[in-house]
Amino acid sequence: MEFFLIFISAIFVNNIVLSQFLGICPFLGVSKKISTAAGMGIAVTFVLTIAVIVTYALQTWVLDPLGLGFLQTIMFILVIAGLVQMLETVLKKVSPALYQALGIFLPLITTNCCILGVSILVANGTYNAQGMEPSLLVGVIYAFCTALGFALALIIFAGIREQLALVKIPKGMQGMSIALITAGLLALAFMGFSGVDQGIARVLGI
Amino acid sequence: MKKLESNILNMALVLTVISVVSAGLLALVNKVTSEPIAEINEKTVSDGVKSVVIGDRDIEFNVAPAQEKNGYVFHRVTDASGNILGTAVEAVDPNGFGGNLKVMVGFSPEGEILGYQVLEHSETPGLGAQADAWFRQASGSEVKEQSALADVILGAPAKAGNHNIIGMNPGDDLMWVSKEGGEVDAITASTITSKAFLRSVNAAYKSLFGYSAADAVSGASTQAKKKK
Amino acid sequence: MNYFKTILNGIVKENPTFVLLLGMCPTLATTSSAANGMGMGIATMFVLICSNVFISLLKNLIPDGVRIPCYIVVIASFVTVLQMLMQAYVPDLYKTLGIFIPLIVVNCIILGRAEAFAAKNNVLASLCDGVGIGLGFTIALTLLGMIRELLGKGTFFGFEILPASTNMLVFVLAPGAFITLGLLIAIVNSIKNRKAN
Repeated sequence: MEFFLIFISAIFVNNIVLSQFLGICPFLGVSKKISTAAGMGIAVTFVLTIAVIVTYALQTWVLDPLGLGFLQTIMFILVIAGLVQMLETVLKKVSPALYQALGIFLPLITTNCCILGVSILVANGTYNAQGMEPSLLVGVIYAFCTALGFALALIIFAGIREQLALVKIPKGMQGMSIALITAGLLALAFMGFSGVDQGIARVLGI
Repeated sequence: MKKLESNILNMALVLTVISVVSAGLLALVNKVTSEPIAEINEKTVSDGVKSVVIGDRDIEFNVAPAQEKNGYVFHRVTDASGNILGTAVEAVDPNGFGGNLKVMVGFSPEGEILGYQVLEHSETPGLGAQADAWFRQASGSEVKEQSALADVILGAPAKAGNHNIIGMNPGDDLMWVSKEGGEVDAITASTITSKAFLRSVNAAYKSLFGYSAADAVSGASTQAKKKK
Repeated sequence: MNYFKTILNGIVKENPTFVLLLGMCPTLATTSSAANGMGMGIATMFVLICSNVFISLLKNLIPDGVRIPCYIVVIASFVTVLQMLMQAYVPDLYKTLGIFIPLIVVNCIILGRAEAFAAKNNVLASLCDGVGIGLGFTIALTLLGMIRELLGKGTFFGFEILPASTNMLVFVLAPGAFITLGLLIAIVNSIKNRKAN
């Protein structure tokens, strides 16, 4: 049942983009069309889930036993960059259809701070595990739900921006300015979810 | 100097050399900084113990080495002649608004709260994050009514009531939010944070003295929750 | 005075936040107060200057094929050095900025300047570019932090200025970050448009 709480909390209450401020660049950059937003969302979900498994393993079985914790940042970013590269190659060979759908987003993902950020949070166990002991399983579920939250925010935002393109906007506010203000209003709307996870916890008796 | 060519040997060589040099550099910096980091962590703890047990009093004291039991950490403080002045207890509650809420509470030998400190939290800035100051403030006198939405947009109003826990004794006083029959007013618009805070204060007391008056309320509510 | 021009260029014409629109995550996340914004700006500036200088020093030794991985290793090393120094000497700031310190690695400003400037220019010019862009970023973050802190908490670098009844808490929270930055960019754009006319 706690997993359901993680699901709700990571997607709505502590949305990675709108309340944690991770992954803002793709959120603002690839949100002009719903279709590209959806592609980016799926690609991030895919990469983040795998990246968290790999980096968690790296932290628990290599860096911690060897006392090399200080190499965390450098190792994680290299592993993520390598992983993305590898995924690209493997996808191209195994599933050209999937590669065509996600391929163009993969290079952008290396510098998406939500991948490195969530990997560090999970490896250090400093995320909101809803009272559970942080472990690989909990971490992976948290990462997967976080990525879904990213995809949701991105798709909603792209939908709004598609409508926004049809509206006349004052000259100075065109482009990034109005996009940021829209994102602010969306974040305000998502604030309405705050506390929902605690309410659900009470209803479910956790 | 001409730019190195991009053949396999050059690329592998350069990348390896750069990685090895960086790793070496980091190991060096790590060695240099690990001592000050450890010192600072120690100092943070000892400063915390001092502020929650001794406060502003100007007396000599000794802190015994920390002891851990069931996830609680105890720091016993004695004066120069060995009498116990109090104990600082570190306790964590996992159900704050944004996750863990970690506090350190100082208790006198009789169980009165001498002071507290919020060590770690992920509460909302401006709302739940006020916990560090809220529970030691003298009560306000001004009462203003406003909606919960106004609280979020305009900020919490000053409110009369009791939210000063310093000097209370969780063994005798019901340290729980007044909304649910306790004696402490919750932070405005941050009941979840307040409950997590009071739960950890009670848990800290209980770990030290074996019981707390809030068992009846908070214990009952946990049981009731489990039954549902 | 070419070098001075490079510095000024980073602060005004190519301001990373208001003009290039790069590095949005730390810009929005760490500016809940002026001091935090300034801390983040200075931390980023440190990494930017170090990486710019080193990459322009090494630019002929790094083959093009492994350029990006090498840059990432250099940047990540400096970020880790910064992490350890901050932990040792400014632990409170380190705690407040939290995850956003290691995330300087993926700040597009740093890799962007390495690729666009340091890989093509000499050491001194790269140093100036790092100082300029770093200052531009720091000024932008401090300004954003000042506005949000003043509107949200009524304080200026921690000193109380406005009474509590005028505080608009939403500016310290997430939505306020987006809206304030959006409006600041709109102001910059309007000034640019007026100049162009």
